[in-house]
Amino acid sequence: MPERVNRDMGALAATLDYDAELMLRVKDGDGASFGVLLEKHRSSVIHFLFRMVQNQAVAEELAQEVFLRVYRSRATYEPTAKFTTWLFRIATHLALNALRDGKNQRCEERLDERADDMPARQLQDGRPTAEQAMVYQARLAEVRRAVAALPEKQRAAVLMHKYEEMEYTQIAKVLSCSESAVKSLLFRAYETLRARLAHMA
Amino acid sequence: MNCPCETRGSPELLIAYASRGLDSIQNASLEEHLTACAACREFVQNQRAAWQALDLWEPAPISADFDRRLEQRVAQEVSWGQRIWGDLARAFGPVLVHRAVPIAATAVLLVAAGVLLDRPAAPPLTPEHTAAAQMDALRPDQVVQALDEMDALNQFNHSLKADGAESRM
Repeated sequence: MPERVNRDMGALAATLDYDAELMLRVKDGDGASFGVLLEKHRSSVIHFLFRMVQNQAVAEELAQEVFLRVYRSRATYEPTAKFTTWLFRIATHLALNALRDGKNQRCEERLDERADDMPARQLQDGRPTAEQAMVYQARLAEVRRAVAALPEKQRAAVLMHKYEEMEYTQIAKVLSCSESAVKSLLFRAYETLRARLAHMA
Repeated sequence: MNCPCETRGSPELLIAYASRGLDSIQNASLEEHLTACAACREFVQNQRAAWQALDLWEPAPISADFDRRLEQRVAQEVSWGQRIWGDLARAFGPVLVHRAVPIAATAVLLVAAGVLLDRPAAPPLTPEHTAAAQMDALRPDQVVQALDEMDALNQFNHSLKADGAESRM
């Protein structure tokens, strides 16, 4: 009987996604599959967290906690939803908690000064001129401020929609709300962003 | 088509068009509308500008030691778990098997026997005792209320019977 249940779970996972199948292997004690999952989702989780909390060190710390929680949950894992939905639900939960705790407050206050978090954009000859670098940094700071000014849930919705290319249904599952609530969150968020960033075209 | 700017819930169509595009049928229909509607055209232009501005925000590179740190934490967690279980098993395993189980079983039996022997024997109840006890427990106002309720029930029964007799006639 348990074998049949496992087989059924495996089949369900396969229809859901390959990640869920990998997670079931982790559940069975396959550590290498955890490595594959980490490799596959490391960047997207860290980048999402970075854009949420706007601090690279905090984002990496939170990402460590996300993957650690995934690993800890391996024994009780059931592939009832898409793996990335579960993963981003953990990440969003941690990011919102960190924001509420004011963990990165100090860093947000010094948003303009944190040039070390930003990759330098290069010209065709490989070296940006000082003026171009300054313009780029100013524009980037404006974008970061505009995103940081969004209410937390709107911010999470926009980041998942824009950078993770998630569908409304998946964002709704991550944020534990209805699809129409997500549409409303996104509409309000883009309305704010249009007002603040449209001049940058 | 209806103007998405004016139709409730439709701006999402314009957002989708300006960000990732629509399927060819929706695309053609919306583009036809955009040639005629200045408000929707402006909305799309601004949405595109905001979308492109967001593209400027490239993520920072991830620390080279991220995986190593995570690996260490996972290993630490695994070894902690194993160590705790190992220590518990080492410390209490033999004691549990050889001493604690018989001691605990004996203790449970002794406590159960003590509880049973310690209970005072209840005196046998006769019907007179029971009735007297019930009478003692009643208050005079409860008796008056019960009699009133019985009267009310009797009157109700009489009225039902009278109604039944009238309807049969």
